[in-house]
Amino acid sequence: MSSPTWDEFADLALKRIVASGAEYGDIRIQNSTTEHIEGEDRRIASINDVHDIGFGVRVLYHGAWGFAASSILSLEEVPRVADLAVEIARGSASIAIEKVRLVPEPVHCDRVVTPYRVDPFRVPLEKKTDLLLNVMETLHRQEGIARSSASLWARRDQKLFVSTEGAHLEFDLLAGQGDCTATALYEGRFASRSCNTPYLRTGYELIKEADLQREAIRVAAQAVEKVKAPAVDAGQYDLVLDPEHLSLTIHESCGHPSELDRALGYEANYAGISFLTTEKRGTFQYGSPSVNLVADNTEPETLAATGYDDDGVQCQKWDIVRDGIFVGYCTNREVAPKIGELRSRGSNRADGWAHIPMVRIANIGLEPGSATVDQLIADVRHGIYIEGHGSYSIDQRRYNFQFGGDAFWLIENGRRTHMLRDVIYHGITPEFWNSCDGVADRAARRRYGFITCGKGQPGQSGWMTHAASTARFRGVQVIRGEGRS
Amino acid sequence: MTVVGKSWPKMTNREEFRFLSDVVLTRSSAEHTIVSLRDHHAGTTRFANNQVIQNVDARRGVLTVTVAFGGRRGAASTTDFTAGAVQDTVARAERIARVSPVDPEYLPPPDPCSFPVRETAKPETMAAGPARRLEYTNEAIGQCRMENLMAAGIVSSSTTAVGIAANNGLFGHEYRADARFSLTVQAGDATGWSAAAHRSIDHLRVQERTLTAIKKAKGCREVQELPAGRYAVILEPSAVAGLWAWLIWSLDAKAQAKGTSPFAGRLGQVIVDERLSLRNTPEHPDLLGEGFTAEGVPSSASVWIDHGVLQQLAYDRFTAKTQGINPIPTLEAPALSVEGLPMASMQDLIKNTERAILVTNFWYIRPVNPRELMLTGMTRDGTFLVEKGEVVSAIRNFRFHASPLQAFRQITTWTRPLEAVNAETGKMLVPAMALPDFHFSSVTRF
Repeated sequence: MSSPTWDEFADLALKRIVASGAEYGDIRIQNSTTEHIEGEDRRIASINDVHDIGFGVRVLYHGAWGFAASSILSLEEVPRVADLAVEIARGSASIAIEKVRLVPEPVHCDRVVTPYRVDPFRVPLEKKTDLLLNVMETLHRQEGIARSSASLWARRDQKLFVSTEGAHLEFDLLAGQGDCTATALYEGRFASRSCNTPYLRTGYELIKEADLQREAIRVAAQAVEKVKAPAVDAGQYDLVLDPEHLSLTIHESCGHPSELDRALGYEANYAGISFLTTEKRGTFQYGSPSVNLVADNTEPETLAATGYDDDGVQCQKWDIVRDGIFVGYCTNREVAPKIGELRSRGSNRADGWAHIPMVRIANIGLEPGSATVDQLIADVRHGIYIEGHGSYSIDQRRYNFQFGGDAFWLIENGRRTHMLRDVIYHGITPEFWNSCDGVADRAARRRYGFITCGKGQPGQSGWMTHAASTARFRGVQVIRGEGRS
Repeated sequence: MTVVGKSWPKMTNREEFRFLSDVVLTRSSAEHTIVSLRDHHAGTTRFANNQVIQNVDARRGVLTVTVAFGGRRGAASTTDFTAGAVQDTVARAERIARVSPVDPEYLPPPDPCSFPVRETAKPETMAAGPARRLEYTNEAIGQCRMENLMAAGIVSSSTTAVGIAANNGLFGHEYRADARFSLTVQAGDATGWSAAAHRSIDHLRVQERTLTAIKKAKGCREVQELPAGRYAVILEPSAVAGLWAWLIWSLDAKAQAKGTSPFAGRLGQVIVDERLSLRNTPEHPDLLGEGFTAEGVPSSASVWIDHGVLQQLAYDRFTAKTQGINPIPTLEAPALSVEGLPMASMQDLIKNTERAILVTNFWYIRPVNPRELMLTGMTRDGTFLVEKGEVVSAIRNFRFHASPLQAFRQITTWTRPLEAVNAETGKMLVPAMALPDFHFSSVTRF
């Protein structure tokens, strides 16, 4: 007898849910394949090939949620898990006061496939390990480099989402990334410099086009320059921030506060709540008029552009901040009606079959302005140009933040001069974004993303892309990240 | 894996893992083969705004096969334990190994040994299900409702069957279970927090911890702002654990050997107050000790910092071999203690303080400068000014900028070691401590 199809398993689960009297239910069956090759100090330290298959059943019973999941996809396990999800939902309902109401969504039946030119899983492994070994060798060719690392990551998610409302969505999604890092030693100090491709939904062409081998020469030279560079003098500086650096700033100081579940208190015990409380929508001066932050889950290749979210809601594009005013949230079908919205923004995502979906940050990006990067720098008398990610920390309401970076250059009288080290800047989110007085044009726009955005209990890793053009911020407080503070 | 009963999965037991590993070892043609099992079943009831917002149960079994041919290594894993999938996993691992470059740091599986048998799985935790979690949830929410406060938190319980086997005869299997409770109480803009983690769900002390979080939240209603600067502090155990977690994660011999560690050249030297000692105590009933590590190395009691002197670093198997010593896994059950007479309680510690900032917990701790172990982070869920032995007011939360290697150079007063856990660290036993000098670099808006 042949094994049942995913559709047959889904049908089995949904019949149990409907028979239980639940008002809504869905099942996600997912088969994920991940290949992660990690190099360290001129050796391939690990190659992991992970196959992860399972399913999760979500039930809304009398206005309360239950969820159960299992890695055993069988005719015995599917009904057990569906019944357990119902049982758990009944328990939740027994102490519920306010009932969950899902905002309507048209019923979608579709198939979403990531376009790609080169399947990363079909590229010979030797070719990939050779690339990483050669990249690390190149890093070490630079005098002063003590440690190196390089890695390649690829993931395929095949998923089926079926709901009691009739939604039937199939996914075959791909994502990839590559990077290398050099660590230099000098007079007892050490400093690292990295090159990261963005995480994108595309094929191995992402790695080919990144040319890590060529980038390794620059990375190694800059690691050495950085470790020997003078430490920054604390004080006020104008900052010119590159798109990779801004991706993290946007993520932490705009992305998380614009999650409506946080604003409503759902994350109060862990990731925190949001200073962007609901009465601020439409009036709060989040940033200067130069600041336009747009959520776009429809842009091809970006991580959150999956066609539909895990509520079965179609991906959309909307404003978070328009002309500096906070105007929109990331929502799902549960929280959207709590602020009177008639449709979810389609930002409900789980990090796999084993977890219940929740509101996640969309692909929020900073809209391009009209200046060139050179023009932004030319108008800075005393500033710092920052590339890449470094230390980062932000408070539980997303007001007080502190960021480092991967590389820093002093700007003097409109010219980028030498590198600096140990640069840390801090501020208060709306004050910082209100100090933005220039965003570079579309030619400077780059996309970077995250697959490790932590949220929820049990913890989940969110995926999203943040595009930006280089931007300038005036009068930001900079401190030195070394010595007795 | 088999399923028993109406709604409860049966975890992979020792015999089943033996069978699975035998299948893998028989199928493998590699010189070395290691089989690892992690069969995890966990449930969490999550609540906010005095409502259950998530109520979940998930079981994921993962079998990982690592093989090697002459130093060429490959690893593959699967969640599908059917015969065909297991066979495919072996084939995938072998395929990877055959085309992998030789790893100069490759070592064969550890020699077989008998792993210590610890009480890692309490029956009451393994048996806990949604009903028990809901009971505790209801208790926390109920107390908050009575006080007209908002509760947000979790009650969770989990059981994990962990196994390791290799073709040299290495074999280990144990169940590990733990339960967790954490609660943030909101009193308008003010918050209070308390949390627990234990092998036994009976030890979560939900009622007591709920009252603690309520008291903190109510005490934070009137808040004053103090300027950033250097202050004496009283760190509650969770705050101490947050800082020490980063110190512990940095105790790595390989980084030290490569010169990229804050402890380079400091082994055998005084690194913190000479009354402080740090031990790994896997047998302690209040800690989450384990019988063996993921690499198949037995866990053991050990001294890492003795009277302020750095005595021990974590050695992976390769670094240990280069130094001619046995591998030393990182601490999984850290216990920090202070020599001398402790204060009887937190209250006594406060009573004996002239002026200090009392910190309930830290949040989002991240390294600023790994070389000096300079960290930043925020105070959270209860930050108070203590004057003349009394808590006089709540204060706005601070960002700190400090290295534990500086902050714990001198401690003033302390309690006995207490259970500590926070959202970003594992479970520890640490004293609450008063420190004379701690740097708060900025203030936030609440």
